[in-house]
Amino acid sequence: MPSIRNLLMRQEVIIGLTIVALSIFIGLVNPSFFSTANVFRILRATIIVGMFAMGVLIVLISGGIDVSFPAIAVFAMYVTVSLIRSGTLPDNLILSYILAALIGLGLGLFNAIFIAWLRLPTLIVTLGTLSLFRGVLLFFVGSQRIRIAEVSPSLTELSRANLLTVENPGGGVANLHLAFAFLIVLAVIVWLLLRYTMLGRSIYAIGGDREAAERVGFNIRRTQFFIYAFVGLLAGITGLTFSALSREADPFSIVGIELDVIAAVVLGGASITGGRGTVIGTLLGVLLITLMSSSLVLLGISSDWQRFVVGLLIIIGTTIPVLQARLRRRVAA
Amino acid sequence: MFLSRRVALALLATASLLLASLSIAQEATEAPAETPGAIFEVEGQWKVATVVKLTGIAWFDRMETGIGWISKDYPSVTAFQQGPAQADAAQQVQVIEDLLAQGVDALCVIPFQPETVEPVLKRARENGVVVITHESSAQENIDFDIEAFDNAAYGVHLMDALAERMNYEGEYTVFVGSLTSKTHNEWVDAAIAHQREKYPKMTFVGDKNESFDDPQKAYERMQELLIAFPNLRGVQGSASTDVVGVGQAVEEAGLQDKIAVVGTSLPSISRDLIKTGAIDMISFWDPALAGYACNMLAILQLEGLMPEEVFEGKLPEEGFGFENLEGYEEMTLVDRVFFGAAWVDVTAENVDEWDF
Repeated sequence: MPSIRNLLMRQEVIIGLTIVALSIFIGLVNPSFFSTANVFRILRATIIVGMFAMGVLIVLISGGIDVSFPAIAVFAMYVTVSLIRSGTLPDNLILSYILAALIGLGLGLFNAIFIAWLRLPTLIVTLGTLSLFRGVLLFFVGSQRIRIAEVSPSLTELSRANLLTVENPGGGVANLHLAFAFLIVLAVIVWLLLRYTMLGRSIYAIGGDREAAERVGFNIRRTQFFIYAFVGLLAGITGLTFSALSREADPFSIVGIELDVIAAVVLGGASITGGRGTVIGTLLGVLLITLMSSSLVLLGISSDWQRFVVGLLIIIGTTIPVLQARLRRRVAA
Repeated sequence: MFLSRRVALALLATASLLLASLSIAQEATEAPAETPGAIFEVEGQWKVATVVKLTGIAWFDRMETGIGWISKDYPSVTAFQQGPAQADAAQQVQVIEDLLAQGVDALCVIPFQPETVEPVLKRARENGVVVITHESSAQENIDFDIEAFDNAAYGVHLMDALAERMNYEGEYTVFVGSLTSKTHNEWVDAAIAHQREKYPKMTFVGDKNESFDDPQKAYERMQELLIAFPNLRGVQGSASTDVVGVGQAVEEAGLQDKIAVVGTSLPSISRDLIKTGAIDMISFWDPALAGYACNMLAILQLEGLMPEEVFEGKLPEEGFGFENLEGYEEMTLVDRVFFGAAWVDVTAENVDEWDF
């Protein structure tokens, strides 16, 4: 039997309890919080951040950081949709996803060359490529917003596809978007990868102690190549999913999401210095961030106050791991 | 040696990325070529340059169509459009400098940053170049400015359209790009004031919602509003992307027949949602007509045909405007700013007439 103290030291438990407490609080202020429509709405809002978070989790565990994934996503998404529009790529969902994934993979490898081969700091490289990829996209590919409905029936179909549809008591319907299943499948894959494969172990190992990992025989360069290529591939898939969810391909979109995603992963217990982090913690972190930022109208907080409240919640949220670390040290002492 | 091979590989990867991107082609759009027709005799061989914020985007491509009409209607006038390839204030100043060096008679400027172009406009006027601006009603160094409409009148117009579609009753809310975007707030403030005065059965609920000009933010906010205010019956948007995000949320909830959505937008980004009924009406102003009207003011000024009264900030008794330009037939004048009433309403019936 784990003691309560031991449980409280697990980030997942703390985040989970915070989510429950916050939900009860919002529900007390506005009972419609617990309606099906609202639950579906919040789950849908976790899809894109959650999918990105799976990639970022792997990078953080390995002791690196990647801020270029939004640019990779928007690049893969916009190029794919542009090619469908120009008729170069047939309008087929599977083909579109394969192409977007390959573009993402290519750009991820581009990061990997600088990180794994030239051994440059991950933050510097990905900050550079964040700007580079977006710049190349806007300058060479295009800067116009494309409505999905005008170019791709197959992506339009995806944007209207739902996992679950429930009649709303007040009229209308509540939908849970099909792409929520993408997030779940992805989470399971990453969980299996991290937990049951040697590759997963090597990611934890190089994040925990790079030198020790090298000495016991992990191939660091190969692992890093895999990590950044995989993150690129995930970003490509996520980007195309984003275009289906938002029904448009806008080369100026998905800006600034990296901060939300990294915050969610860290909130979920991944260590920014590497070696620690879980899929379930990350999913909870994503849920908490989404919950905080998308319940302000339900709480009746006016637009002027919302930025203040979001800032406050982020500060409170990030204080938790610090307090928890103190608790852990006290227990250890 | 070893390191340089890696560097070479990195460079190769960069080059291939650029090449791959270059090979992706872009498409161009065609615009209809009806001209408004000449209404004045113009004798001078004038060179009139229109300087836009940014070239290559649909909005200013459409404006260029209007500039083309000027050259057709008034053959002695050479009218053309230029602008920076990037939305950048310094680059726009450079474009104006180059035009002055080439020697133009008049400039129509749509400033990216009004204060940044002041010095170069001042110099232009000192050299006898006529300067007209558009979308910049507080500009100093100008002969005149022309606006498609007065912001308050436009907000009232949108509210009338919304109220009609809500049967003049029920809860509604409004979106703005940001609480600090001046025009958006002028539109919705005038709209809300008009509703309170004219439509007592309607209720404004919540707060002004900020979308940050992002359709995803508008979408997420609208989803939340639908849950917080289950009796919501109408929305007025301000940023061109507001009604797009709002409409998507309304459509997904299956409420397109229950909730009226009106606002400023462009057909190119809202067409699909207008056709499904998720968006009921959008309004905008036609940049081709705005550009044409801006050039007309420049030509009148160059020809000395501008009525005497307008230099004192008044309109002549018979009114002033261009009878061939819809929305600019009877303009109003405040200080040196002309206002038209040139909004265009688009619904499912006429959305296909527009390609931008």
